[in-house]
Amino acid sequence: MTESLPAELSEIAEFLGASPPFNELTGEQQAAAAASLQITYHPQGDQFEQGAQPGGLRILRSGAVDIRDGQGALLDRLGEGESFHIDGLNAEQGDVNATVIEDALVYLLPDEEYRRLRSEHRSVDRYFSGQRSRRLRRAARYEPQPHSMMREVHTVMARDLLTVSPMETVQLATGAMSERRVSSAFVVENGELLGIVTDRDIRARYAAAGLDPSTPVEEIMTANPETILGTDTLFSSMLLMTQRGYHHLPVVEDGKLVGIVTTSDLILARQDDPVYLVQHVSRSDSVEALVELVKGMPNLMVQWVSSGMRAQQVSRVLTAISDAVTVRLIQLAEAELGPAPVSYCWVGFGSQARGEQLLGADQDNGLLLSEDYSDAHADYFERLANFVCDGLNACGYDYCNGGIMASNTEWRQPLSTWLGYVDRWTRSPTPDAVMRVSIFFDLRAIHGDALMVEALQAHMLERASSNSIFLAALAANALDASTPLGIFRRFVVDRDGEHRDSLDLKKRGILLATDTARLHALAHCIAAVNTDDRLEALARDKHMAIGDSRNLADALRFMQQLRIQHQAAQVSRGETPDNFLNPNDLPKLAREQLRDAFTILDDAQSALRQSYRAGLG
Amino acid sequence: MPASVDLPRWRWRRRADEALRAFWSESLPSKRSHWRDVEFLVLDAEMSSLDPEEGELLSLGWVVIRGGAIALDTAHHLVIRPTNSVGQSATIHQLRDCEVAAGVDAAQALDQLLQAARGRVLVFHHAPLDLAYLDRLCMTCHGAPLLQPHLCTLQMEKRLLERREQALKRGDLTLGSCRRRYHLPDYHGHNALWDALATAELLLAQLAHRGRGGKLVLKEL
Repeated sequence: MTESLPAELSEIAEFLGASPPFNELTGEQQAAAAASLQITYHPQGDQFEQGAQPGGLRILRSGAVDIRDGQGALLDRLGEGESFHIDGLNAEQGDVNATVIEDALVYLLPDEEYRRLRSEHRSVDRYFSGQRSRRLRRAARYEPQPHSMMREVHTVMARDLLTVSPMETVQLATGAMSERRVSSAFVVENGELLGIVTDRDIRARYAAAGLDPSTPVEEIMTANPETILGTDTLFSSMLLMTQRGYHHLPVVEDGKLVGIVTTSDLILARQDDPVYLVQHVSRSDSVEALVELVKGMPNLMVQWVSSGMRAQQVSRVLTAISDAVTVRLIQLAEAELGPAPVSYCWVGFGSQARGEQLLGADQDNGLLLSEDYSDAHADYFERLANFVCDGLNACGYDYCNGGIMASNTEWRQPLSTWLGYVDRWTRSPTPDAVMRVSIFFDLRAIHGDALMVEALQAHMLERASSNSIFLAALAANALDASTPLGIFRRFVVDRDGEHRDSLDLKKRGILLATDTARLHALAHCIAAVNTDDRLEALARDKHMAIGDSRNLADALRFMQQLRIQHQAAQVSRGETPDNFLNPNDLPKLAREQLRDAFTILDDAQSALRQSYRAGLG
Repeated sequence: MPASVDLPRWRWRRRADEALRAFWSESLPSKRSHWRDVEFLVLDAEMSSLDPEEGELLSLGWVVIRGGAIALDTAHHLVIRPTNSVGQSATIHQLRDCEVAAGVDAAQALDQLLQAARGRVLVFHHAPLDLAYLDRLCMTCHGAPLLQPHLCTLQMEKRLLERREQALKRGDLTLGSCRRRYHLPDYHGHNALWDALATAELLLAQLAHRGRGGKLVLKEL
């Protein structure tokens, strides 16, 4: 070290001094270390791999970085003041990389200085060899969100407490509990917690014992319940509950009752599990809370994929989540606008209806209104639809480019109008018009009176199946896109724009299978909308050979798996997921399988041409 | 790109003294060099007035960018002893007469700067003002202006925003506003060295965002 840091830059030494383990150094040592720093800037998406030059400890002055293992599982997310040594991490367990997820300003402590500090200061050495790698090793064993049970109780407890006085009758207490939809009430006198009454107490000590409704709660409460602190971990409260058989635990802070946790709160705290994510969504009490929840979805998807969840399951889960978000938004809208004046059904179209959604799906939806609907209700439903569509957009389900949204008056109509639309679409079908409406033929009730959607779908099937001109137009569309196999059976990839040398797996693969299944299903009056279900029903009813149906399902499954792995890898790298795949990046076997999948799609297209376009050219 | 200095240097060759000509004789990076292979000297100056005709340099701060990284061991700060009193501007610069009096004189400061600037491209945020002062000083001491290739982060940002057809508002091009556009942290320090560092970080951010994927060379800047 030749120079020490000029006093004008003392803030840098102070910043370093605030970041562990440098806080263990004296001010002078901090200034000396700061003088050796190099500063670099890395935009989002930059990556550090083993051997990244120059080597050293990278301390984040601002921005954020994800540390992931070779499978894409998130090991650690670092923010301001935190640091990583990419070669050190790789020496520990191998195949670790770091991706900038927010533009980062990095202070690099060169290796020479880093090693000197470690050899001269035991505390620094211990920090980097001990705690750091232990944490990483723990994370590397598959255990999504290892820290979720280490969260503090106050982060999950309910703060909305029902309190009753000891002389209150059981009848009044139960009434208040069911009205507030809580499963417990606190018995409080002069601000002091005397006991707790739970739904179990009521069943066991009151209902079963045949007591009089005017019995004071004092007689059936659990007196002097055990309490926990808001700062206790979820783990320790879970332990206490299982050991003692409690289902409710009052939470105390500074000697005062502040909340309650229940067993279900604790189970829900395991946010990485998709089931609980859906539960959390339905418990969110604002659009902001929903946005916050849904934000974590890409990372969860990476974990699901790397833990072996198949593409079809991932799609079903992602669809279940978007259904839950939609339903919750509708409920929030109703809470704000009041109950709906006439019955309605919120309907999802396209991939949401088919249960085949992935990350970054647009919204496609509409509203079916009861025949009791009149102009007087127009304003209510417009506001409801806008609330939900805006909310979906905020949650990352972007507005539909084609305007197929309930917020659009055309798609917010009484059932009879919708039936009229179907008549119009099927009466004089041109391929162009059919292309725009084919998305409507994949539909599913998301919330409200599902019978209306069933009626609409039955009408669609009836009109479509008996109309060979309409089916021919639909077939022309399905045949419009072709697989990238080309006449020499070699991959043809898009050679222009951003996705040069890559193929659009969605447009030139997955959608062909989806279109094919839809067309056959409409022709044969099959009500299923999920592509797998459609193919299965077609084989069961002998409209399709079992072999063809299975081949198509396998081809689809393979392409979907490829796509989801591609997208998970992109999310790991901090990129926006897309459908563009470069066949040359695939292992040889996968490339062969992809070619097989395209061959199957080609055959399926020829069959379509035979069945629906024969004689039409 | 940094304007070529060959012609102006040739014009001034007779009036420049030995020391300045020696400085000029140092080889400069090729215009086809990748920016990471170029060394930059990022500078900031503080002065007693915005008008170079009546003000004086009060302090200089600089730091070197080498291999695409700011090297903090090159950070340098100089307080310059002026001939006049600091007066009003002391409230802006937090430099008091007594501190300034402890500084070096302007000629010595310039010599240290020439030493540090050898073979490096100068970088300023709003170059014309700082350069006007430095050129004046250089004329007095060495008979000719500095005439070293330079970049201006303000100018680069302005062109970038204009290319995106964004309407420019007052204050959009201050060092702080430019930095925020690249998610660089807010700094509140106010000395020439700290501002030079802030400018250097801005330059790295600008180059990182422009150079994505491609190979950005000096003449494209």
